[in-house]
Amino acid sequence: MELNWGIIFAAAGAAMAAAMAGIGSAIGVGMAGQAGAGVVSEDPDRFGSCLLLQLLPGTQGIYGLLIAFVIATKAGLLSGGAAALTATNGLNLLLAAIPIAFGGLLSAIHQGRVAVSGINMIAKKPEEQGKAMLMTVMVETYAVLALLISFLLVNGVVVG
Amino acid sequence: MIVQMKRLTLVAHKADERAIIEALQPLQAVEVLKDENASFGADQLDAAESRVQQLSEALAILKPYGEKKGMLTPKPEASLDAIRSELPEALRHSEELEQCQRELARIRSEAEKNAAVIESLRPWESFPADMQAYKRSRTVRFFPGILAAADVEKLDEQADAIEYQLFSEGTNRAVVVACAAEDAKSIAAFLKSLNWTDVAFPKLSGTPKAAMDRLEAENAALAKEQERLLGQLAEKGAYKAAIEGAYDAAVIERDRLAALSVMAQTAATFELEGWVPEDRVAEVEKAVSSVTDAYYFAVRDPKEEETPPSVVRNGSFATPFEEVTNLYSRPDPKGIDATPYMAPFYVLLFGLMLSDTGYGLILSLGCWLYLRLKKPTGMSGGITRVLFWGGLSTAVWGVLTGTFFGLDFDVLLGTTERNLFPLLVDPMGNPIGMLILCFGLGIFHILFGVALKMKMAFSEGDWQTAIFDNLSWILIVVGLIVFALPMVSPALPAFLGTVGMAMAILGAVMILLFKGRAKKNVFSRTISGLGELYQITSYLSDILSYARLFALGIATGVIASVFNDLCGMLMGSPNIIMKVLGILIAVALLVALHLFNIAINTLGAFVHCARLQYVEFYGKFYEAGGRTFQPLGYNTKHVRITKS
Repeated sequence: MELNWGIIFAAAGAAMAAAMAGIGSAIGVGMAGQAGAGVVSEDPDRFGSCLLLQLLPGTQGIYGLLIAFVIATKAGLLSGGAAALTATNGLNLLLAAIPIAFGGLLSAIHQGRVAVSGINMIAKKPEEQGKAMLMTVMVETYAVLALLISFLLVNGVVVG
Repeated sequence: MIVQMKRLTLVAHKADERAIIEALQPLQAVEVLKDENASFGADQLDAAESRVQQLSEALAILKPYGEKKGMLTPKPEASLDAIRSELPEALRHSEELEQCQRELARIRSEAEKNAAVIESLRPWESFPADMQAYKRSRTVRFFPGILAAADVEKLDEQADAIEYQLFSEGTNRAVVVACAAEDAKSIAAFLKSLNWTDVAFPKLSGTPKAAMDRLEAENAALAKEQERLLGQLAEKGAYKAAIEGAYDAAVIERDRLAALSVMAQTAATFELEGWVPEDRVAEVEKAVSSVTDAYYFAVRDPKEEETPPSVVRNGSFATPFEEVTNLYSRPDPKGIDATPYMAPFYVLLFGLMLSDTGYGLILSLGCWLYLRLKKPTGMSGGITRVLFWGGLSTAVWGVLTGTFFGLDFDVLLGTTERNLFPLLVDPMGNPIGMLILCFGLGIFHILFGVALKMKMAFSEGDWQTAIFDNLSWILIVVGLIVFALPMVSPALPAFLGTVGMAMAILGAVMILLFKGRAKKNVFSRTISGLGELYQITSYLSDILSYARLFALGIATGVIASVFNDLCGMLMGSPNIIMKVLGILIAVALLVALHLFNIAINTLGAFVHCARLQYVEFYGKFYEAGGRTFQPLGYNTKHVRITKS
């Protein structure tokens, strides 16, 4: 049986986007969650602020999911009837997943680190929550840019 | 806008001190400054502080008891007199609570101690003799201890010197070894060579079994007592509201004494130094004159070396956005208040990041209900209002980009043929158009910031900064855009390109020649001009930063449509039973998933929009670093004070 390289590449791209960005977010949210639990054990009133900071590194996973879904839709992986995807199309989709896969993975981990520091900051100075959030969001900028490029690249692939 | 602060000096009779401070407290308009020679007795303040402590500890004890408040219950309202009258009663309750708590702690530790003794006696349950009396023998020595089961046989090696008896089963066995008094030393050494632990019985009379029974009975009584005390605590839950009110009264009282304690005093008078916002001076003077007519009241402008706190006053639309500015930094009291300029941009950009009519309506409705029911004040009230406006803007942007809960407006309204929506641009179909829209908004936002800086420079009389440092940049940025226009759309006349180029060059020349105008040397002047021109990269990255508007917009929109598609698949089963089940599950899922999407993307839009304001916009003109105004007032936690 002949392999349909277009579909294989596209599926690999979708899987890579969701998996790598998801791993990054899991690590980031996990680190921030540990720090948050430590702070909350001392002062339960800080729960709300800690939760907000913990959530921030979670967006990369969502961006990865988003690109995975866009790729899968484009390749017709969800509707069953796989589109007439050439190997070039498929490879294009795989390459399009690279920005969010790597950008998401690394930015989520580093954002998690900043979130941990931010949570420690909140423990000492609860009134500085806004600054802690802002510093954490600075890292996310690059995940957002990666998302944008991934999206534009997927969008630019003409199937058929 | 920034409110000018006035330095207040108030001198009055000491007899009126309390009445005057009490009259000023509800106004929340005076920040009292510490005087070097403040001499007020600290003991009164300490007493007030310890009352606050006592009540707050009582509330901590009562936390699990009493009426639970719903998330949306607003703070109860009460007059100051009402909560003050509850103070003595509440202090009595809190003392009882504290006693209760102490008693409970004592009971717990006693019960634990007893339980530990019971555990240690358990191997000796079958020991038949009185624990204290059995040793009284002149010729025989007894060694009670715990021996590893494997070593029991080794005891038989010394059978002619000792007698022993086992009292328990298992891997470690309770055993008493007896020997003649003269052999005691050698037997003790022998036992040490085995896997042996000496046991000393607790100082209790009777057999171990009897002692255990006694202790168990004691613990049962303690448990009953604990039950009774916990019941008492739960009953006190009924007074929780009263104690909360009293806590606020105690805080108000403490704040009043804290203000008194930092004022300068003579034998007969006191002197209050403080900051008052200009527009409230008359109110403050009226409050003082309502107490007494024997006072000296003077206000003056702040001196150069003094830094007054920063106070802003805005219209009802912009006021909640002060909270957004405060998250960054308060404005320098000598600078300008950026909030009224930032607020419309905030609403505009926030909406573009969410850009879904359905989501916007839900967000606004949720915020409106929260404001209505909970009546939040301070920071949470401000943020809720900001989100309310953001939601409205989101709804409008949703119409412009044509999405409603991730669906296309055209599909929803059946206008697919006429292709009515989106009214402006479809981010999925025309991403480059959307990017241009985002960058366009960004350029406007940034240049508006530069223009504000220009205005500030003009109003300070520094026209050179305004023209050479700010107008020049506007010329460059606008000029480059105009220059590029004919290339993008050939319909425009070609001379526009020339005009744009001329503008940009004019701006660049202005910077090159005049940026280093403080320097005499022409050469170093040009060098600093070149350095300034390099700033073009920072303008470029600032503008590119607005791409996030688009990216967050698709994040919301695509995820919403992903959720819709998933639920659509659930509903698509041909089997009728599966279809009904699928629809039920899909509806429940849709509600949950869309709420999740709203929550996570609102958080994202809020923080990213704030970042655009702080970094890209405020970076151009804002002078941060003001100090928060901390007026003498009612810093209540549990009740809202109304006029009595």
